[in-house]
Amino acid sequence: MGIALGAGLAVSIAGIGGGIGMGIAGGKAFEAMARQPEVGGDVRTLLFITLAFIETLTIYGLLIAFMLVGKM
Amino acid sequence: MIFGMWDSPFFDLGPIPVDHLVFTEWVIIALIGIIAFTATRNMQLVPRGLQNAFEAIILWTYDFFTQLMDKEHVAKKWAPILTAFFLFILLSNYSGLIPGAAHVQGFQPPTSNWNVTMTLALITFCSVHVAGFSEHKGRYFKHFVSPGWAMLPLNLIEEIAHPLSLTVRLFGNIFGEEMVIAFLLFMAPFVIPSAIMGLSLLLGAIQAIVFTILSASYIAAATGEGH
Repeated sequence: MGIALGAGLAVSIAGIGGGIGMGIAGGKAFEAMARQPEVGGDVRTLLFITLAFIETLTIYGLLIAFMLVGKM
Repeated sequence: MIFGMWDSPFFDLGPIPVDHLVFTEWVIIALIGIIAFTATRNMQLVPRGLQNAFEAIILWTYDFFTQLMDKEHVAKKWAPILTAFFLFILLSNYSGLIPGAAHVQGFQPPTSNWNVTMTLALITFCSVHVAGFSEHKGRYFKHFVSPGWAMLPLNLIEEIAHPLSLTVRLFGNIFGEEMVIAFLLFMAPFVIPSAIMGLSLLLGAIQAIVFTILSASYIAAATGEGH
C-alpha cells in the first residue's frame, strides 16, 4: 500500500515540476521565434537541449517509481 | 518473461550466451550496413537516388555539427560517430513499434533495456574525454579544477552525471512508452493504442535527436576554448 502510494507520488510530483518548467521554456522559445523568425533554427536546437535537461528530472521520478513497483 | 523482457538467452554462440536484444541489435546494424553498402557500391560523380540521399544526410550533419561545435576539424572528426548514434537509436526506437516486438523470439527493442543505453552513454563519455585531451593535451585536465581546487569534487560529479543522465533519459523514455502501449493494449486491444503509437513515432525521433545533440554539445564543451 505504502509502496504503491509512493510510486504514484514519485511520478506525479516529478511530472508537475517538469510540466511547469517545460511550459515556461517552450512558451518563451516560441515567443522568441515569433519575434525573430530568422533565429528559429538556433532557438529550436537550444530548446531541445533545455527540454531534455528538464525532462531528465521527471524521468528520474519515473525510474524511482519503476524501482518501487519492482519491489512490490 | 518479466515485464515485457525476455529473461533467458536466445541462443549460445560457443561459450557466449546471446541475448534477444543483442540479436535485434545485430539485425539493425546489418540493416544500416546493407543500405549504406548498396548506396555506395558504385558511386558516381553526379549522385542519383540512394547515393544522393546519403550525401545529403552527410552534408547536413557536417554543417549542423560544425555550427554546434564552432571548430570544423573537431566536427569533421566526430560527426561520423554521432550520425551513427542517431541512425542506430532511431532504428532501435522504431523497432519497438513493429508488431511482435518483445513477443517474437529474438526480437526485443534494444533501447528499452538500460544495458544498451548505458553502453551508448559510456561510448559518449569516452569520446568526450578523448576529444578534449586530443584538442587541449595537458591543459585539458585544468578544467577539472577550473575556478579552484575546491570545485574538484563537484566537477567530478558533473562528469559522472552526464553519462548517467544520458542513460536514464533514453531508457526511461523508451521503456515508459513501451509500458504505456502494453498497458493500453491490455485495457483496449483495438484502435486506442494507435494514438499513443503515433505519438511514439515522434518521441522516438526526438529522443534520437536529443541523445545526438547532447553528445555533440558535451564534445563541444570539452574541446571549446571556455576553460
